[in-house]
Amino acid sequence: MNISNLQTVLRTSLYAALALAVVSCSKDKDADPNPTLPVTGEVYTLGLGVTTPEATTNYVLLTNDLMSGTLSLINNGIQQEGYRDYANIGNHFQAIGGLGLTDVNSYYIDASNQLAVKTGLNLQARPVDTYDIDGTGSYLAVTLPSAPNEGTDLSFITVDVASNRITNTKKITVNSDNFPIDGEWMLHTGIAIRGSQAFQTILPFDAEGWETKKTDKTYVAVYSYPEFELEKIIEDDRTGPAGAFNTRSGIFATESGDIYTISHSGFGYSQRTKEPAVLKIAAGTSEFDANYLFKTADVANGGRIVHAIYIGDNKLFASVSGGTQEAQWDDQNLKFAIVDLADQTITTVAGSPTFSGDGGRSFAAFHKDGKAYAAANVDGELNIYEIDLDKATLRKGAKVEATFVGGIGQIR
Amino acid sequence: MGSKRSWNLYIPVHQWFVFTSAIFLSLPAVAQSTADTTATDSLQHHRIEEVRVVGKTILHKAKEQAFNINVIDAKQLYNSSADLHHALNQSTGVRIREDGGMGSAFSFSLNGFTGKQVKMFVDGLPMDNFGSSLTLNNFPATMANRIEIYKGVLPVSLGADALGGAVNIVTRTNANYLDLSYGYGSFNTHKAGLNGAFTDSETGFTIRANAFYNYSDNNYKVSVSPIDLTTGIVGPEQEVERFHDAYNSIGAQVDLGLTGKAFADHLLIGALVGANNRDIQTGVTMEQVFGARTSRSNSFIPTLKYKKSDLFLDGLDLSLYSAYNMTANHFVDTTRLRFNWLQETIPTSTSELSRTQLRNRDNEALATANLSYGMSDKQAFSLNYVLTDFTRKSDDVENPNNITFLMPQRLRKQTLGIAWQTTYTRFTSTLFSKLYMLHAESFENISRNTIAEYQATEMNRTQAGYGAAAAYFVRPNLQVKASYEHTYRLPEATELLGDGLFVRRNAKLRPEKSDNINLGALYTLLDGAINHLQVEGNFTYRNAKDYIRQDQQQVQPVDRQFINVGDVRTIGGEAEIKYSWNNKLFIGANATYQQIIDRTAFLVTENLTGTIRTPNLNYGYRLPNMPYLFGNANLGFRLQPNPQKDDVLTLNYNASFVEKYYLTPNQIGKNNQDVIPRQISHDLFADYALKKGKYVIALECKNLANSKLYDNYLLQNPGRSFFVKLRYFIKR
Repeated sequence: MNISNLQTVLRTSLYAALALAVVSCSKDKDADPNPTLPVTGEVYTLGLGVTTPEATTNYVLLTNDLMSGTLSLINNGIQQEGYRDYANIGNHFQAIGGLGLTDVNSYYIDASNQLAVKTGLNLQARPVDTYDIDGTGSYLAVTLPSAPNEGTDLSFITVDVASNRITNTKKITVNSDNFPIDGEWMLHTGIAIRGSQAFQTILPFDAEGWETKKTDKTYVAVYSYPEFELEKIIEDDRTGPAGAFNTRSGIFATESGDIYTISHSGFGYSQRTKEPAVLKIAAGTSEFDANYLFKTADVANGGRIVHAIYIGDNKLFASVSGGTQEAQWDDQNLKFAIVDLADQTITTVAGSPTFSGDGGRSFAAFHKDGKAYAAANVDGELNIYEIDLDKATLRKGAKVEATFVGGIGQIR
Repeated sequence: MGSKRSWNLYIPVHQWFVFTSAIFLSLPAVAQSTADTTATDSLQHHRIEEVRVVGKTILHKAKEQAFNINVIDAKQLYNSSADLHHALNQSTGVRIREDGGMGSAFSFSLNGFTGKQVKMFVDGLPMDNFGSSLTLNNFPATMANRIEIYKGVLPVSLGADALGGAVNIVTRTNANYLDLSYGYGSFNTHKAGLNGAFTDSETGFTIRANAFYNYSDNNYKVSVSPIDLTTGIVGPEQEVERFHDAYNSIGAQVDLGLTGKAFADHLLIGALVGANNRDIQTGVTMEQVFGARTSRSNSFIPTLKYKKSDLFLDGLDLSLYSAYNMTANHFVDTTRLRFNWLQETIPTSTSELSRTQLRNRDNEALATANLSYGMSDKQAFSLNYVLTDFTRKSDDVENPNNITFLMPQRLRKQTLGIAWQTTYTRFTSTLFSKLYMLHAESFENISRNTIAEYQATEMNRTQAGYGAAAAYFVRPNLQVKASYEHTYRLPEATELLGDGLFVRRNAKLRPEKSDNINLGALYTLLDGAINHLQVEGNFTYRNAKDYIRQDQQQVQPVDRQFINVGDVRTIGGEAEIKYSWNNKLFIGANATYQQIIDRTAFLVTENLTGTIRTPNLNYGYRLPNMPYLFGNANLGFRLQPNPQKDDVLTLNYNASFVEKYYLTPNQIGKNNQDVIPRQISHDLFADYALKKGKYVIALECKNLANSKLYDNYLLQNPGRSFFVKLRYFIKR
């Protein structure tokens, strides 16, 4: 097998990981027979990747303290099989992935104050997104292969966190009838649920050459919720597609029901034909708001909003790329910033390091009590940072002995 | 397409010639008289020993080369069902890991080197690209005279960029014989072999043929937790039969021509042909189960062999072996179903995993030439040249516009070796230098917009390696050896030049290199008529640098690079003891320990904004996913229940042991679950030979204790199995 075919197989394995069954069982067991893991006080979880010359392996590490000392994986942490993405839904931290199959290891602190894990849930494919359905204890896993020869089903899988069971699966076939986007394949780049509708940002994508050839419009697929019947696809040509390959930062809903799409045309884009901008779908409507256009490169501290999480009150905690985009897969010149979607401002976090992102991964960050936590690798050292979201200031936290932080959350 | 871009990094060839010539000419090589040599079989520097040690077999002579070499006498395997894999796995330093039963994918490792770092040869011809039907696990032992395993240091006659050694199968060259065998065993396994040669002593007309057929359902039982496809519930662990794992292969090697003529010791034309079909049962883990994916392969390889001793001059020998390899591999996944271990199915949208009907058509020109000149009975020079010129064309009707298929790649490697051998009564040595020349061609996308623009790109590389080996009989029964080589593994075309999509060119890529040292001793403690006891010990040191790996730090899904990352130091020891009594009792044991340490301090990745250095958390620790302590033991009896009739009953017991090892760095994380447990397997063989071996019936039981055996990612290997074999052998 030559390298190109090996690549094909690797890509196939990575992005079309086979899973079984629509429904699954769950089983409880101790995560570790001899946990040295802290189960008192606040318990934070990190999804860590370690790259050696041979391969990358993934681990879930627990800690009481994100802000001091060194978080080391030496004889510590729970190894995860295969490639992993992470979610933090409620008081559970999910490590999703595997070798060949896609399973969900859901870690939590049980009633007897022990670290426990629910396993045995197999998803049909590796999710390209996991979305917390407004704190109800369920999340939505979205699966969509990156190329049609690996499958043409777009699936919306609802998973109950407490039981680690699938409670609902809806599928729609991706073809030019359902998604008329100039004959291109598409990527899912984000989802937001508002009342009885779900809004999904999609990115037309050349699945053979891995290029983005249709970058003149933002596309949002609108579904009924929870039925996931495709209602319509809305477009807007004031900016390009929202979100990017696997970054899960394309669309956000606010408490008031407004929805914002984030277009950056940076990481993952082989061409840029429109300025980066945020668009709005106002509360109570399912069309773009013609009166709202937030050109993110034109404001003070502006740039491309590549990775973001919603932190409430119309604001995002984001990593914003300030430089020019040299190549399709560059994810560089990032700084932590607070983005106010309503006021159309970007505030760079004072003292933020300039760092490179982890490319096609979800933004490893979470927030609580006015503070956000994220990681950055600066000069070969990986650190946790605590960002004061009101003051837009930053405090350097624990050093992490790993190659990258793929997920960060709290289970107590 | 634009004009051709070319990248060159030259050690000029003439400089290498001047350099090596200067070294060799400065040696005190005094031509006194000439003698005939047998350069092609790399045994020539034992010419004197042949005289001195009367009656030593060719196997002994091979073994006593100055190189660190294991020689497996294939004749001892003729009565068993063993393929060459199983024979090699009994050898020190070697570990072959298989994904399952007959015909399954495998990885070969030798002193910690694996994959393309170790090369495979058949009669000195590189066979790495011969297709999956012409591999060691398809060849029956009856095809071979012997198997040579060279560790770390290779003679120039095996010309290849082997970083860590090579395996050379030496096929049978008996003049007149016929060897037929057929066996049947567990899992509906059939193995048939036909080997023969006919030589007309008057005309010199010669025909040699080796043919094999293998079939197995591979339906052995495995322990799995099937997932119910309708409810999705992971069921309790249970034993199920593998249901989509059948394998068959058929192949032959035929040579036709003249031997023993004035113009040629032999002149043979022939072909290697082979084909196989494989059902694919699992992915990388047991949990990933398939019910319809298949692969198949076929190869047709015409060959030409020529050898002439005393060409023009006494002592000047020439041998040539050339071949043209045409191999096609076909991989199919078109069934819109998903299977579980209970053979239940649900529909899918395109395929089981990824819809494909991929066809790879490989063409490879191969040539190897040896020229040797024995200037005296003590001095000889030899010159070796090996060419491999590989191209691949791929297509997939399910994926017709795949860019990497439309842009064929080419990789031409030439290896030129020169060696000087000295042979004295007790001392032999060889000093050699090798020149590696690589020419790679590919395409790269030079477009700055979304309209792809592909440009041909090519690169030439030249590297020079060198080494020496020496052996000395301290006493007639004690030989000590030392060998050293500075060697390279050249990049593949894709690694160097990219493939236009998934891999980007890396013009700075260096070849993998290693300094390999072997020290060994072969001591015959007892050499009497009744008792024979021999011990062998070897120390191996490997200091390998610049492993070529895909850059794991680059996070994008495509357009990634291969980089030089990975320094590995291996310090190992191997020991073997063999005892026989009166040709009736045979006892042997060997053990291999390899301390294979990751010496990569930092992972360095370069991108447009600069260089990122991150510490390697495995620095100073054992390389994961590599067996490091293993051994074998055997006990055999040779009985003559009916001495008048020369019938012989042979009983053999083999045990093999592999210490537990981890698939991922064990110091990282707590209670690493990625572990292959300690494995011990026991095999029993019995054969009964009538009429001096003309008829043989053999019985065997493998994995007698029905132990759970694993290799890669806990993929389960077969449990206890039985096999019966009938063999008919005549020679003239």
